[in-house]
Amino acid sequence: MSYDIDAVRKQYIGFETAKARARYPVEHETIRRHCHMVEDNNPLFLDPAYAARTEHGACLAPQSGWLALVLASLGPWPAVFEPLFPIVPTPGKRIVNMSQEVEWSARIKAGDHLSAVRRIVDVYQKGITIDPEAVWIVSDVIITNQRDEEVCTIRNTFLTHRTPAEVEAARGTGA
Amino acid sequence: MNHGREQIYWEDVTVGDDLPEVSLDINTKRLFLQASGSQDWYPVHFDPAFARKAGHEEVFMNTGFIQAALVRVITDWMGDAGFIRRLRFEMRRQYRPGDTMTCRARVTAKEDRDGVACVDLEVWGENGRDGVATPGEATVILPRREAG
Repeated sequence: MSYDIDAVRKQYIGFETAKARARYPVEHETIRRHCHMVEDNNPLFLDPAYAARTEHGACLAPQSGWLALVLASLGPWPAVFEPLFPIVPTPGKRIVNMSQEVEWSARIKAGDHLSAVRRIVDVYQKGITIDPEAVWIVSDVIITNQRDEEVCTIRNTFLTHRTPAEVEAARGTGA
Repeated sequence: MNHGREQIYWEDVTVGDDLPEVSLDINTKRLFLQASGSQDWYPVHFDPAFARKAGHEEVFMNTGFIQAALVRVITDWMGDAGFIRRLRFEMRRQYRPGDTMTCRARVTAKEDRDGVACVDLEVWGENGRDGVATPGEATVILPRREAG
């Protein structure tokens, strides 16, 4: 059966998940690992004694939308911070992230407890070199803290595609 | 004892200013650091066979890693009191093992917006093969000297 993009758009655009609270509060160790990967030794993120002397009073998380997604997800394993993919059916199961836009309203501190709401904004088909029937998905994630203050909104655009072998096989079957 | 970043104030910023760059070698160790630091276990970012089967030439660095490097350019510069209001970027080319990723930023505008001291930045990453691989833009709120 062929993929019906119009039916998928009709069913999924505007879909919103229930607000989900992260399993754990924001932890120093998650922030440390994030900083370590890019050699960021900023004491505002890493040193509680230093951070306590600043206007913030506690270590901050770097203002990365990706890190906010990790901190607001349901725990370190299994990783569930990209849960939109299984929600929207697509012909291909491979993912490439294309762009991200993050609007920040508040800082994230160690000890905060975040929640997230995810929303499908758009779904469309646009071919790429690997797959002429790639499906692009635009989603928003709205992250709030334990005071129900909005922390940030993350708009993410990613595409899903088939492998070259899957594209070739589909050509052979006319699917 | 740890020392924080030097605080930069809105009055001290000039359009055209370049921010200090950040360069990172992309190698096997960095792939592991990426998975740990981003908690992104999608194999296209560390398993060459998986990446090639998907049609890619090689494994490539993920969004979390790229964003962390871009953010680091900004936070290294803006100091403890700075605040990133907005960041947007596109993944147009890949960072692969053997590349050196260099992230840079430049001040493109400086405006008082409804009493808020805003600075716009062009921020981007280069991979050494394609030039700009990740174009982006950001708006940062900085403290004013008179308020400090």
